[in-house]
Amino acid sequence: MNGALGTAGVLLGLLGALGGAGTVLVGLQRGRPNLLRSAPAYGLLVFAGAFLAMAAMERALITRDFTVLFVAENGSSRTPAVFNVATLWSALEGSIILWALVLGGYLVAVLRKFRDRLDDPLVGWALVTMFVTAAFFFALMVGPADPFKSFNPPPGFDGPGPNPLLQNHILMAFHPPMLYLGYVGFTVPFAFAIGALATGRVGEGWLVETRRWTLFAWGFLTVGIVLGAWWSYEVLGWGGYWAWDPVENASFLPWLTGTAYLHSVMVQERRGMLRVWNLSLLCATFALTILGTFLTRSGVLDSVHAFTESGIGPAFLGFFAVIVGTSVLLIGWRGDRLRAPGRIDSPLSREGAFFGNNLLFAAFAFVVLLGTIFPLVVEAVNGDRISVGVPYFDRMAMPIGLGLLALMAVAPVLPWRKASGELLRHRLEWPAWIGTVTVVVAVLLGARGLAPLLAFGLGGLAAGSAGRQLVLATRRHGWKGLVGRANGGMVVHIGVVIIAVAFAASQSYGHVGEFRLGEGDSAEVGGHTVTYLGLETIERSAKTETRAQVQIDDDGVFTPSLSEFAFGSQAIGTPSVRVGLTGDVYLALQALPEDGSDEILLRVVVQPLILWLWVGGAVMAVGTILAGWPGNRRRPTDPTSAGLAEDVTGPAPDPEPVTA
Amino acid sequence: MDVTEAVDHAPRSRGLVLGAAVVVAVIMVALVVVLATRDPAQDRVDESPLVGHVAPPLVGEVVAPEATAGSHFDLDRLRGQWVVVNFFATWCVPCVTEHPELIEFSERHAATGDASVASVVFDADENVDDIADFFADKGGDWPVVDGEDVILDWAVAAVPESFLVSPDGVVAAKITGGVTADGLDDLIAEVQQP
Amino acid sequence: MRRFSWLVMGLVLLGALLVGLQPDDTPRTTEERVFDVAEGYKCPTCRSQSVADSEAPSAKAIKAEIARRLEAGESEQDIRDYLVSRFGEEIVLTPSSSGVTGLVWVIPVVAVALAAAGLFLAFRRWQRRPSIAVSDEDRRRVAAARGGEP
Repeated sequence: MNGALGTAGVLLGLLGALGGAGTVLVGLQRGRPNLLRSAPAYGLLVFAGAFLAMAAMERALITRDFTVLFVAENGSSRTPAVFNVATLWSALEGSIILWALVLGGYLVAVLRKFRDRLDDPLVGWALVTMFVTAAFFFALMVGPADPFKSFNPPPGFDGPGPNPLLQNHILMAFHPPMLYLGYVGFTVPFAFAIGALATGRVGEGWLVETRRWTLFAWGFLTVGIVLGAWWSYEVLGWGGYWAWDPVENASFLPWLTGTAYLHSVMVQERRGMLRVWNLSLLCATFALTILGTFLTRSGVLDSVHAFTESGIGPAFLGFFAVIVGTSVLLIGWRGDRLRAPGRIDSPLSREGAFFGNNLLFAAFAFVVLLGTIFPLVVEAVNGDRISVGVPYFDRMAMPIGLGLLALMAVAPVLPWRKASGELLRHRLEWPAWIGTVTVVVAVLLGARGLAPLLAFGLGGLAAGSAGRQLVLATRRHGWKGLVGRANGGMVVHIGVVIIAVAFAASQSYGHVGEFRLGEGDSAEVGGHTVTYLGLETIERSAKTETRAQVQIDDDGVFTPSLSEFAFGSQAIGTPSVRVGLTGDVYLALQALPEDGSDEILLRVVVQPLILWLWVGGAVMAVGTILAGWPGNRRRPTDPTSAGLAEDVTGPAPDPEPVTA
Repeated sequence: MDVTEAVDHAPRSRGLVLGAAVVVAVIMVALVVVLATRDPAQDRVDESPLVGHVAPPLVGEVVAPEATAGSHFDLDRLRGQWVVVNFFATWCVPCVTEHPELIEFSERHAATGDASVASVVFDADENVDDIADFFADKGGDWPVVDGEDVILDWAVAAVPESFLVSPDGVVAAKITGGVTADGLDDLIAEVQQP
Repeated sequence: MRRFSWLVMGLVLLGALLVGLQPDDTPRTTEERVFDVAEGYKCPTCRSQSVADSEAPSAKAIKAEIARRLEAGESEQDIRDYLVSRFGEEIVLTPSSSGVTGLVWVIPVVAVALAAAGLFLAFRRWQRRPSIAVSDEDRRRVAAARGGEP
């Protein structure tokens, strides 16, 4: 029954998507606005279909209905209820249901927001794009990624349950939906970009309309990535949080181009420039979400030969090619309308800084993409298997990251059009002192090494610059100085600086040790002492957990554990972390005592400032909310840049009044 | 100075954008074609640096079946017959799936004695009792070895991985993922053809 | 006064960096060296974790082997050659800089060089084009337009 309901939902959604696309398309070609106005009905069909499919699958998972193949392969009677719900997105077919649902939600929201403008062709083309995308995902579910395939369970059958790593932590319930709200959210600005290109109305209007949608998607993508890093740290047992793993890179790539877009778009709003950049960045962001899903779901990363094993790989790659092709053709076609009336007068200006920002982010995305797909391409071309790992990405990302920190420091104080060195020196004086003090303090605390010290110094500079903007804004406007695009953006910058500093510190000054400890033995790592006290075993319904009691530093007893799940899977470790303001002590139980010995194998990782990674992420989230806060829109008559004459003699008026 | 000069560049930049479009399109098409024309992974016969060379040593204590447990194992003593050296772990699901195939292969060649199986423990931290139970439950009467330094000598990355060793002690093939009795017989036939 | 402040800042920063750039002389224990070396190799069982970070049986075996060889006095190059002879080039996390693999290092550099050159040329082109000069006719037009405003 669940299978039938689910399949009905998928078909409903597909029909709604195809019908919507077709109807709006005909309405656009024939100039029949009444057809365009029927779009909301189709949108509701799409959402209803996706909702039905999701409800059917969740019901099947919760009731452990093994007649559905997806449940038979991924569910289990021993999995706790909460994790059964999250099992939906633990495997490919179910995650496509989630994607379709989120897309349906966005579609309905767009239809509601623009309900008075449905006969505008720009909105029409945007809707066509969204319907076509929805049709792709529903078609996947009808074809190669059918989640409701039926199965004949032999009597007494029980499924294996989701991968035990996915059952260990409640975060698994939140991480993918957040990520998908971000990924799928970029469909909306992309759709409007296509609409603008198709109708030729590539002015600023559509940009301003979709700004909050883009910010919303970007915010969730950011939170999704940070949550992913947190999960990696809390669950996987190696004590790290970022491994430049292809799956991580797949989520990072659209974030890079999306961030570049959010900044570069301001130049278009102010001066109508960088339009080709903005459209390209937006299309690239959406295309990268599809490419990322392709990379992580088609199995190509394990072996290039897995590509043709199911229809999913070719389908995603084909869709990716269509998106890239369409975007490039449209931008090429409208090239003449994208000419900017002005140009960048001086590299030392806000426009120059944002242009440099685009270049750095584009370089970052290029390098990450290259490193991720290079082993794939090499294997496909000549069969050699090579690896491109952490050392490559670190080496490439480091100069780019430092460059971005520098830009983050300088850009907020640069006026539009042109600045003088004098102006810059004046405005950056206090931030420069903060940067210098940061370096001095770090060195006094024992930090060594050029890269981390540069990161600390530039981070201090950038934080000082952002803080300066916030202080000026609150001085002028009170609490309203904290909301709005510019000020929220400064809060986000502070969050980024916190993450950058924490990243540099934890990567450069961590200590790892692995010890065989008998009961009562101690070991020392990174200035901390760990003492192994003993074992205790706890039997639960889904797993048998063996905990090691370890005392850290006279401070408290922590219990890393190893759990054995039924069904003969490998023992899964649950780390235990002592979180501190200055650093974490991370314990992971690697091996239980062998017969005849009482020695455990314990991995201890000591890293500074880990907590601040998550704090920085939270600050970024808060800043995003502040940035999207409905506030004062900049009046057209407000000055946009500092007057050039007053620079040299006195403090120039601030170029950036509170803007929306 | 003429304002029209700014507009003049429209066709040139349009050409630039179109040129970029063509480059991107060509790269995309190439990527799709390359990926789509790779051979699908059939039996996953791996190219390993070991193939064609004398087999690395495999010595250690036999842990199962119970009859021969405790005795010393040395692969060299099995010269003269084909040996399937199978690396496994009790917690590895594909190993469980391939186990009946190994039993089938072993039984097929038991009469002629021209081929046999030797299983090797991959996870040194595995409980010996679990391994003994595994074989007691699922069958299989060939030696299960707790080998010394095997992972590095045989360059085993994951389980299950099996190596086909010829009667003169040369590694003829490496199979990653599960094996099938027929697949093994086919491989032997293939290698025997000069 | 302001200049002086910057000078002081510069000196303080320089001093801090001079101290901060001193190489860390504390000798590495064998265990730390094992971890350092192990970080450069991929755990064969995992997708992208290093041997240092993984606890898979293959990673444990490799770590033990690295420890043995370091204690026997072998160089890191020797260890690399041994591991590659066993597991193939795939096990090294840093792509080699020669052959087809070397392209992954070359391409970004080339791309950056091309981009920088493109920027430089574009900027020069912008500079060379004289800006629109304001003529008297233009001034008259503006005055007329403004004069016409209520």
